[in-house]
Amino acid sequence: MDWLHFVLAPQVINGLSIGVAVVLMALGLTIIFGLLDVINMAHGEFYAIGAYVAVALIAAGLPFWWALALTPPLMAVIGYATERGLIQRVFHSGDRHTLTLLLTFGLSIVVEDVLKLIFGANPLRIDAPIEGATEMLGLFFPNYRLFVMLFGAMVIAAVWILVFRTSLGAMVRAAAYDRHMTASLGVPVNVVYAATFAFGVALAGLAGVLLAPIYSVFPTMGTDFVLIAFSVVIIGGMGSIKGAVIAGLVLTQIQSISSLWISPVWSDPLLFGIMVVVLMWRPQGLFGRLGHG
Amino acid sequence: MNRFALGTIAAALLALPMFASAQNAGPIRIGVVTPLTGTYAGIGAQVKFGLELALKEINASGGVMGRKLELIYEDEEANPAIAVQKAEKLFDVNKVDFLTGTVNSGATLAVGQVAERAGKLMATTVSFADSITADKCSPNVFRVNARAGMQSAALADWLAKTKPNASVFYLGPDYEMGRSTVAAFKTAAEGKGAKTVGEVFAPLGNKDYSPFFGQIRAAQPQVIYTSVAGNDTVRLFTQMAEFGIARNVQVVGASGTVTSQNLGAIGKAADGFVTGVGYAITIDTPENRKFVADFVSMNKDAPDLYGTDSYGVLYFYKAAVEKAKSTETDKVRTAMRGLQWKTPQGVKTLRAGDHQAMQDMYAVKVDGGRFEIVGKVAADAAIGPDLCTKF
Repeated sequence: MDWLHFVLAPQVINGLSIGVAVVLMALGLTIIFGLLDVINMAHGEFYAIGAYVAVALIAAGLPFWWALALTPPLMAVIGYATERGLIQRVFHSGDRHTLTLLLTFGLSIVVEDVLKLIFGANPLRIDAPIEGATEMLGLFFPNYRLFVMLFGAMVIAAVWILVFRTSLGAMVRAAAYDRHMTASLGVPVNVVYAATFAFGVALAGLAGVLLAPIYSVFPTMGTDFVLIAFSVVIIGGMGSIKGAVIAGLVLTQIQSISSLWISPVWSDPLLFGIMVVVLMWRPQGLFGRLGHG
Repeated sequence: MNRFALGTIAAALLALPMFASAQNAGPIRIGVVTPLTGTYAGIGAQVKFGLELALKEINASGGVMGRKLELIYEDEEANPAIAVQKAEKLFDVNKVDFLTGTVNSGATLAVGQVAERAGKLMATTVSFADSITADKCSPNVFRVNARAGMQSAALADWLAKTKPNASVFYLGPDYEMGRSTVAAFKTAAEGKGAKTVGEVFAPLGNKDYSPFFGQIRAAQPQVIYTSVAGNDTVRLFTQMAEFGIARNVQVVGASGTVTSQNLGAIGKAADGFVTGVGYAITIDTPENRKFVADFVSMNKDAPDLYGTDSYGVLYFYKAAVEKAKSTETDKVRTAMRGLQWKTPQGVKTLRAGDHQAMQDMYAVKVDGGRFEIVGKVAADAAIGPDLCTKF
């Protein structure tokens, strides 16, 4: 009983806070893939840019909450420009998968070095806006992590509603299902594509700000969540929102709880092992793709 | 015309050996293989700062035996394979007399082998791994900075005095350096009465340490020892503060855990951290005060232990060449063994048996973004046994 209370329970809750972070990253990734059929290798770097934008805003004297509110729209602008300026140029070529993969991969390398040039290689930090910890049943939970969990859950719910319960979301899903038919019905498909990419990038940026007080800010931070986010998207089903949420939460729980018994370095191999098994058993992932049955 | 050009080239080629022999009257060349870009660029910058200051001072006061010193830099990008290529280039193309600058221990060991093949001498000013001057020692490799074992000895001594028989929890990064520093400190601390209540190794570049906090809390340690470094330290310390893990617990660690590169990002979460080092900016001697002032005015940055030991290495080479009255490898090596030379930390002695510098060691505590000296161990108490059997 003590073991359940003092060892397992905190592990589950710590895993949950990491899970929300992973889901935020995976959501942007899966939406971009589901609609544009583009594997965004630079997703982690957009997460890093988000954190650095917040660092710059806070250095300019704004409080954290303003940075949290302003960063996603700023990131959306960057995402929109990236899609219109770079991705759309190679989007209609026959070799779309390879070209966009290479393009976003190259972009990720450039971004990392540009961040280093502007902000330097040393780590930076944003102070958590909510201090202290809450004691519940003899367990400690930092208040800021509780906030991240709550806020993250709200963002995930909002994305769900936006995609599945609004006419905007219907347009996106229609474009994902049949680009040509949707275009002939008068939907500006190119704008929908760019806006969706911008939305995914804004989500990554939001994750960047939200997690900066916990994980600190440095140029190579983009690689942090992107590997696990990719595995979550592959396991959950490329382009599935439901899959990203469920796989994200389940996988981080598996990692967190398994680390009680196995050496922590094995938690990544465990994750990728699960990914390989899922790929062999259900190559399309656990859930269906956006816009498809 | 073509024939004329060929003739010129041939003449130039013929003249090359003449230049080579005439080199003795020219500058003494020291190759610097150091990371100017990449993960360790911050350390490489300190290495360069220290060397440049010493270079300016030595050349302004007449050089070494009437010859100027010249530094030739090569960027090793914190990659041992690249370090090897650059070291070979410096020996073969630039004909350097000595080498220095390597930062990570793998690069130092690899470049040491290059120096051995080239029949030249090198000295590291940064690498901590004990093996460099122990089981993997080389007759051509010298270390002028303190090694991990000496740092552990200073820290263990401070711990035994301030918290006798403390219970210690160990948290290290899961790779060679992380495990060996934990093992070294554990041996030193247990030798002075500390008890081990648990240990965990997290992957290098770990994001979140909170999954380990349950184990730490359950073990109820009085002291947490860690050897994480760089960005990992920022995360560990931030998250320990978040969860209140460090409350009523003394956090100690390796000298590379909290540095001038990450101290700013850790902020007040670093206060109270204690480590063992071979240099602190607050050493209160006229030599060190002058060194710090000159360093800051030249580089617009304060020296850390890497910058200080890199400054010291040029004086080490100077003293050795002047004692040997030559730059020939065998004569200089003989001169270096047992050599005493002045550094900002005081007089250092190079132990002949394993090429490890002996020096006083300090325990330092972070206080409001500064390292304050809280303990000192004499050179001969910190040095440990000579484990080198190769020469």
